[in-house]
Amino acid sequence: MAGPHEILGMSRVLGIGTTEFLSLYTDNGGTTLRSEADGRCVFLTPSGCRVHPRRPLVCRLYPLGRTTNERAEERFAVFPAQPDCEAVVGRDGTVSSFLESQGVGPYLGWSRRYGELYRRMLGLLDRLDITGKIDAPAAATPAEAAQAGSGSAGSGQEPDRAPLSSWQDVDASLDEYCAAKGLAVPAEIDEAIALHLRAIEEWLDDLESRLTLAA
Amino acid sequence: MGKQEDRKIVTRRDVLKLAGTAAAFCTSFGFLHGSQTGGAVPSKNSKSLIVKELQERWKQAEFKWYNGNKLLGTSPFPARVLEHLQSDEMATVEFKFFRGGNLLRNMGTIEAKH
Repeated sequence: MAGPHEILGMSRVLGIGTTEFLSLYTDNGGTTLRSEADGRCVFLTPSGCRVHPRRPLVCRLYPLGRTTNERAEERFAVFPAQPDCEAVVGRDGTVSSFLESQGVGPYLGWSRRYGELYRRMLGLLDRLDITGKIDAPAAATPAEAAQAGSGSAGSGQEPDRAPLSSWQDVDASLDEYCAAKGLAVPAEIDEAIALHLRAIEEWLDDLESRLTLAA
Repeated sequence: MGKQEDRKIVTRRDVLKLAGTAAAFCTSFGFLHGSQTGGAVPSKNSKSLIVKELQERWKQAEFKWYNGNKLLGTSPFPARVLEHLQSDEMATVEFKFFRGGNLLRNMGTIEAKH
């Protein structure tokens, strides 16, 4: 699993943009990191992880796993050690001390923020009455559907490597958003993530207002 | 229809993008309906742990019908359906209304593993 903010961070470690990163290193519509034929992560080398400074939350948490329920109650569990994992796993210390040592704080915060936006999306999808409010006669052409559903990573990608949503491509999203708003594209990763969240929020605000008007 | 009016319409493209983004976030972050998982490392062992935990959640399942906020009635899932939900197989749930054998409304289909 890799969220847009994590893809942004990893792409900067490699010195490339998110469009290129999505194309080269992700599968399943840009939602997971690519694996080698033997199952290894594409970034795992004999000398370690190539993107370690900006490794995703899932890697930071291991060997812990995290679940939250609909009331946002958080639980952590210990997964059995992977047979080929060289990490030393013990039971000393606490969950919170482990999380702190792995620098998960900002990643959990961003994950929660994207989670809030995700729940808004589900709410909007629930509100959509497909037969009543959508511009049904104007059937989407394949090109239109591709533009709406995929990112700007290029048409030469294999289908499962094209992002499911253009929002996954943070660089392209922010280029477009900043150009429309007359803003400078943030150079810092944290600022870029904050602006990415804001841009998605505004997009949802706009969709929500149009849905309300159409009701 | 003028440009200003067009802006008020939720288009098919909007819906495609919304659904695509929700699907992408669902997979990228491990979000489920109303819940969130993160840090689940896919392996046979961890998968069996997750399956076990989810099986425990499926000890009871029921439909609820509401009129606004008023609960009109509940109905538990049949035992064989619950048994299927506890397995690690794909479950398909269809919501359809019929009258006299004719389909009045198809509310949609959910396909998911627990």
